Amino acid sequence: MPKSMGAVKQAIPAEIGGETDAVMGSSGAAAEAVAGRKILPIVEGVVLVAALLAPLVLQDYLTVFATRVIILALFALSFDLVWGYAGIMSFGQALFFGSAGYGVALLARDLDITNIFLVLPAGTIIGLTFALLLGGFLLLGRHPSSVIFVSLGTLTGSYAADRLARGWYYLGGQNGIPSIAPMTLGGYEFSEGPPFYYLVLGILVVVYLLCRFLVRSQFGLALAGLRENEQRIAFFGYKVQHLKAIIFAIGGAVAGLAGSLYAFHEGFVWPNMVGVVVSTQVVLYVLFGGSGTLIGAVIGAVIVEGVSFWLSDNYRDIWPIILGLLLLLVILFRPLGLISFVLGERERVGSFGAKIKEKRDAAP
Amino acid sequence: MANAFVAAFEILSFGAIIVLIVLGLGIIASMMGIFNFAQGEFVLLGAYITYLAYAKGLPIWTGMVAAPFVVGALGFVLEALIIRRFYAAPIVAMLGTYALGLIIRESVRGLIGGFYLTVPEPIGGSIDIGAMHISAWRFTIIVITLLVMAGCYLLLSRTSFGLRMRATLENPSLARASGISTPLMYGATFAFGSALAGLAGALIVPVFSLYADLGLRFLIQGFVAVMVGGIGSFIGPVAGAGVIGTLSAALPWVMAPVVADVLVFVLAIVFIKFRPQGLIAGKGV
Repeated sequence: MPKSMGAVKQAIPAEIGGETDAVMGSSGAAAEAVAGRKILPIVEGVVLVAALLAPLVLQDYLTVFATRVIILALFALSFDLVWGYAGIMSFGQALFFGSAGYGVALLARDLDITNIFLVLPAGTIIGLTFALLLGGFLLLGRHPSSVIFVSLGTLTGSYAADRLARGWYYLGGQNGIPSIAPMTLGGYEFSEGPPFYYLVLGILVVVYLLCRFLVRSQFGLALAGLRENEQRIAFFGYKVQHLKAIIFAIGGAVAGLAGSLYAFHEGFVWPNMVGVVVSTQVVLYVLFGGSGTLIGAVIGAVIVEGVSFWLSDNYRDIWPIILGLLLLLVILFRPLGLISFVLGERERVGSFGAKIKEKRDAAP
Repeated sequence: MANAFVAAFEILSFGAIIVLIVLGLGIIASMMGIFNFAQGEFVLLGAYITYLAYAKGLPIWTGMVAAPFVVGALGFVLEALIIRRFYAAPIVAMLGTYALGLIIRESVRGLIGGFYLTVPEPIGGSIDIGAMHISAWRFTIIVITLLVMAGCYLLLSRTSFGLRMRATLENPSLARASGISTPLMYGATFAFGSALAGLAGALIVPVFSLYADLGLRFLIQGFVAVMVGGIGSFIGPVAGAGVIGTLSAALPWVMAPVVADVLVFVLAIVFIKFRPQGLIAGKGV
């Protein structure tokens, strides 16, 4: 009896992985990874240690840059939840990022609210609300929406928000809202530098762990099934549209949190932040790093931003062209992103729910 | 009276421009099921070629004639090299064509810098009807749009090329069994759609002047128009483009431009939500 139990449990992740496995073919060293040896925790650990040590070795202006990258990594995480795990193409993720940024900027400008315990939840709620509204409208309803409709709908939403922000005098028009007061905690002001960096890093780690727990739960299993074969999941009795709307809203909340941090870190918000440019930027991060692995999104954000920072001094003009070429190469030859060089398919899909590993080991 | 006429002409000419841009997008989306994010950049390339001809001292119309052929050829090559790999997955196709568009757009930006470059109208001046003056070039665009629309319709519905094209797109395996080279037809369709974009770019550059984000400006409007019109037929996207173009041009006359701008998109998305098949449902021409 325990033996058959183990076999059934094991069959679930293997089957989900199966379809993409064939597409991927061999993935080098990763394929050789023995079941017992986990690469993902090592990668996560290395990234965390590097992030913790970064301000100690970096100059001040680079720490400021690193803070921005960490915030963008948080934003990338939100897109990865939506696209990498649930297979919803959100081309308008910046809508939630930017609207939260605008929201907290208005709170700081008009109501003088800069307390960290008020503005960050406010930004998260703004992102959540917008995502619920847009996601609810696009995803729910009597007829399931097509993938194309959702992706173009989110893109259009983001574009419309951009136009609105540009034309609305209250939101500052083309110039956006400049010189936002710094975020405060009691009498302390968070200005650019190591404290802000560690604050953002701490938030990223907490959100990352929450997301990791979420995608490895039964809910995550349903999402992964949804991504691989929506119809089959629907036949199992899941309310597919509800699952999608929930994860879309969670993604919006994370994006809102990132957006409010970004607004306070940069000290200003401008229309691009809700628009198509930033929306596609986050797609780039996740595609580069590797969708469907949370750490891939973080690594993608770090690499794209890092290389672009490094190159933009000397090759500012041709950097976007190189970016386009690299993106094309990744899409054509590495659809699972750079992380797939070190991470095997089985580990990317992972195991779900609690304690599967012990049962598998118990079965001889 | 005169004002109303001028307004109507403005609306009509903007509608024609949107139709012209959407034609190529619509053919590729309807016939191949791909939303080509690089379409805006094909428009930009058409505009750039026209500008090059002008800058080299050639008559502007030579650039306008050359643009569709050059862009069409480029489309054919890109389809054979890259787009072909994306047919199985429409979302991947969006991302891939986005990457292509990024490369083209930034290359053009590198070539022209961040400037707005003007190209004079090949047919300048205005047409006077009584006390009213309408721009001769905008009038020409309307006429050319009508001609191109009619031409496309005839090509798809009345020629053997159009028949083979539709056969390939409707049932590829049966078409192959009947001796049609389907890869060639896909390439030809994509090239045709790109050529139309190139033509659109060449014709509108005197009106909007040349800048790197020229294509991006119309891309989303084009997508919305295709969705509103309905994917799967030739006439659907054209109808959608007419509606979206007219609305975008007409609404600013009755309300604040900012509100009108956003309202068009909101209305379009709500419409598509409740009528996913679009204005004109069904396959065919």
